[in-house]
Amino acid sequence: MANEVTLEDVRTMAADVGLTRLTDQHLQELLRATQTAQARRAAMPKSDLTPADESAHVFRLNGSDR
Amino acid sequence: MSDLAYLTVAEAAELLRAKKLSPVEYAKALIDRVEKHDKKLNAFIRFTPDRAMDDAKRAEAEIMRGEWRGPFHGVPYGLKDIVDYASLPTTAHSKILKDNVAATDAVVTQKLRAAGGVFMGKLSTHEFATGGPCFDLPWPPARNPWNREHFTGGSSSGSGAATAAGFVPAAIGTDTGGSIRNPATLCGVVGMKGTYGLVSRRGVIPLAFSLDHVGPLTRTVRDNALMLDLIAGYDPLDPGSVNTAAGGYTAGLGAGVQGLKVGVIRHFYTRDMEGEPEMVAGIEAAVKVLTGLGAKVQEVQTAPLGEYAACNRTLLSSEAYAIHEKWLQERPQDYASLTRERFLSGAFVRAADYINATRVRLKMTSAFHALFSDVDVMVTASAMDPACRIDDAKELDRTYARQARSPFNVTGSPALSVPVGFSKGGLPLGMQIVGRPFSEALIYRVAHAYEQATQWVGKHPPLEA
Repeated sequence: MANEVTLEDVRTMAADVGLTRLTDQHLQELLRATQTAQARRAAMPKSDLTPADESAHVFRLNGSDR
Repeated sequence: MSDLAYLTVAEAAELLRAKKLSPVEYAKALIDRVEKHDKKLNAFIRFTPDRAMDDAKRAEAEIMRGEWRGPFHGVPYGLKDIVDYASLPTTAHSKILKDNVAATDAVVTQKLRAAGGVFMGKLSTHEFATGGPCFDLPWPPARNPWNREHFTGGSSSGSGAATAAGFVPAAIGTDTGGSIRNPATLCGVVGMKGTYGLVSRRGVIPLAFSLDHVGPLTRTVRDNALMLDLIAGYDPLDPGSVNTAAGGYTAGLGAGVQGLKVGVIRHFYTRDMEGEPEMVAGIEAAVKVLTGLGAKVQEVQTAPLGEYAACNRTLLSSEAYAIHEKWLQERPQDYASLTRERFLSGAFVRAADYINATRVRLKMTSAFHALFSDVDVMVTASAMDPACRIDDAKELDRTYARQARSPFNVTGSPALSVPVGFSKGGLPLGMQIVGRPFSEALIYRVAHAYEQATQWVGKHPPLEA
């Protein structure tokens, strides 16, 4: 995704994921929301993650699932 | 009537058990109060006085036969309208679910029914527990009983308003990024987001599976502990539920804080964000009270608020979007604008971003829990500002992210919001007390000691004005 996402970018991306009924107002909302999400991604402290750093969601079966 | 309106659960339970107060008389008083005042507050989205009277009459008959079920027998309560009550719609305050009738009770509802509680109705919420306050929904938003022109905080907006206004002594809310503690803070009541997995989420419309918590809002710490005693417990059908001992949350009340080590996360509200001066003053005054009561206070450092917020919002937006994708594809126009925008923020989160957020989550959680080797509990801000005007879109937008609640959704730590005073404008101020996992009893012990040493509990909003 380009750093500066545009309205046309989100229109195309929205269509790709089935969001085909969004009005122009909705697309403006989506543009703002996408920019917000990009800012969040930038703020995520992931630079010191190593391959050994696992996800908080590890698929685990119960001991009773025999 | 105002005497009955502000009975605590504990007080009511004693009177009801001793047959000095009739559940029917109690319910009638609160019903009258709701009918008189709620048109100004919109705390209820679906008020059910007939059901309340049925529950009250049943409770009265049982109590008169000597069949007392416990502290909630004959006590009125409300449910946030994302919590199922069988045969009634669970609307999530949304056009999309306005006809969604629940087939069965949520687990928390089952427990309140079994306890003999008196169901007063469904309480207003932000749309799908995220979008609010919104004026483009079929129902109006709840208003703050301390000043009706001001916001309640959300998303458990009706739960905060109803409790503060004396409509019910106890209400159920939910919390994914702060939604029990925000209305608790802004409405001047007590709100607990317990440890993740302590209270079953079954029968509650999800916002984000890995962040959602169900919990109590009440006017006193003891009442909050009583309600958590009732609703906590393992549910094998909730994938997030933890099979651990629950209950006994009132056991330590009265033990005081002498010698307890209290860590203040001051940087959340002084450096990472600058809290509004009156809110900061309220929190610092509360810390002084705890010091005066014998607690050993020290400052603690954890990750910056912005990092916790980035993690919380990436997880929340992704999980929420996944839940709502079909509706957003088929009927986006049926959401309020604010809700839609918030859900759309998850539309393009990459899988790697979500996975990295969960990896960061695990590291943050481990690092945060390690801090409890030096302290017993921590204190910090909940909101950075008192409640703003409900019609000030700019101020609502500015203050929305100004909070220190979401870190404890990321870490799953128990966190309790308690009142710490009032602004010059008469709006409530609050703080959070946070503990290690499953330390709710200790949190309540500290909160109770603070509450008993201060006078905030006895103050009530001027509904007659």
